[in-house]
Amino acid sequence: MLKKILMIATFATVSSFSNMTLAEENADSLKTAVEAAKTAKKAAATVGGEWRDIGKFLKKAKKLAADGKFDKAVKLAKKAETQGKLGKAQMEGQTNLEFPSYFTK
Amino acid sequence: MKKLPLILSVCITACLSLSVALSSAQAASPAEDQKIFQDFFKKKFPDIKEAEFANGVYAVDSVGRESWEAIEEFPPYEPVVDKGAEMWKKPFANGKGFKDCFKEGPAIAGKYPHWDKEKSMVMTLPLAINNCLEANGEKPLKYKKGKINNILAYMAFESRGQKVNVEMSDDPKALEAYQKGKDFWLAKRGQLNMSCAGCHAQNASNKIRADVLSPAFGHPTGFPVYRSKWGGMGTLHRRFTGCNKQVRAKPFKAQGEEYRNLEFFLTYMSNGLELNGPSSRK
Amino acid sequence: MNKPLRRLAILGLAPIFAFSALSFSSLSMAEDKKAEPAAKVEKAEPTGKELAFSRKKGNCLACHMIQGGEMAGTIAPPLIAMAARFPDKEKLRAQIFDAQVANPDSLMPPFGKHKILSEKELDKVVDFVLSL
Repeated sequence: MLKKILMIATFATVSSFSNMTLAEENADSLKTAVEAAKTAKKAAATVGGEWRDIGKFLKKAKKLAADGKFDKAVKLAKKAETQGKLGKAQMEGQTNLEFPSYFTK
Repeated sequence: MKKLPLILSVCITACLSLSVALSSAQAASPAEDQKIFQDFFKKKFPDIKEAEFANGVYAVDSVGRESWEAIEEFPPYEPVVDKGAEMWKKPFANGKGFKDCFKEGPAIAGKYPHWDKEKSMVMTLPLAINNCLEANGEKPLKYKKGKINNILAYMAFESRGQKVNVEMSDDPKALEAYQKGKDFWLAKRGQLNMSCAGCHAQNASNKIRADVLSPAFGHPTGFPVYRSKWGGMGTLHRRFTGCNKQVRAKPFKAQGEEYRNLEFFLTYMSNGLELNGPSSRK
Repeated sequence: MNKPLRRLAILGLAPIFAFSALSFSSLSMAEDKKAEPAAKVEKAEPTGKELAFSRKKGNCLACHMIQGGEMAGTIAPPLIAMAARFPDKEKLRAQIFDAQVANPDSLMPPFGKHKILSEKELDKVVDFVLSL
């Protein structure tokens, strides 16, 4: 049984070689994008700067990927990463704050 | 040519040390902050009596105030207070009750939040309630919606008329928690990059779309609140959650360190106002 | 869990799926390509005004009075005579991109910096605001 599968697989691999690598590439680039987004999300959360929708974007990206919509999924994961980075950058320097000048003007 | 970097670096060093000196001179004590904060609102609203700030947005929204006063004639939180009174009386499975944890009785809202030196954290009333339940083998209550509001509403009702009087401890850890709460209140947050202060101090009484922004002076006095928008009761931390979501920031955990520190700072800022919870809001 | 075997099976099976789905997928891909522009035509791209009024995008009315908009906020100045107030279009764009560069106390969200609007959307909103 296994032999038979392997034989068919070999044949199929040869005949649809380019297709296979494309699928692999898709899965790979999505994985990279999602990992990067998760790292950025965590970095933002560590400084209390995570934005509201990053988690939602990642969930949606997962769903899109399951539906075979890799391009859209990667795009959304990249958006999540950008938001994570922006949220982290936003909190930089926002410690030991004092009342802004409009309080005493 | 070679001199320029030297001059620059001297200048930078001088500037830096100057700014350090300035910022350390600026670091205000909590008491100073409180004065700046309260004076800001008194100056911004010279016609509003100080005690009025305990009524939140209705201190500055005369249109909304009319329907609010009508609602308060038959307060939607009244049955909630009754349920809370039942909870207070009903013994736990082990025969003990809330009165065994809170020996001074239910009228203790004015003692919270406070700095718990032993635990080295800000202690809030909802947290103390759950500590009591868990110490007696009962299941803790959820911190935003639901039953916790019953017992909180009853305790708030019994505490009406007390003054907000958060004591600032000289424990350095307490000051740290205070500064964290202050940072939280002042920091621009979320995709919309807004701070609590930007809306509820700088723009208090202004309209954001059709809604009047409430002044932060008096924010914590009326909780828990019945909110028409919620169709039910909610805690102060539930309200924090909503605000954070509106500026597109991920909300923090109710009764987590961030919101407890914020409550500590925010309540300290309202020292002197009367506690008037539970209350109703739009 | 026998990971190598599972991977082998997946590796073996995937091309079969790919193979059998080849004709189908190329067909559906062609359909996708046809369907996409059609969908875009159906869902017309929002105008600058629509972006400015949308609560999820510009939501300018939350703070600014704008002619044609209802229930405007009172936080920021009314958007009138904008072309006279901003003879330099780039200055207006920079203001919407990140208002805190010019005024650190501004409450205005940094629409460009925080990618609340895309660059293209930002351009459209700038053009709309200049028309006021």
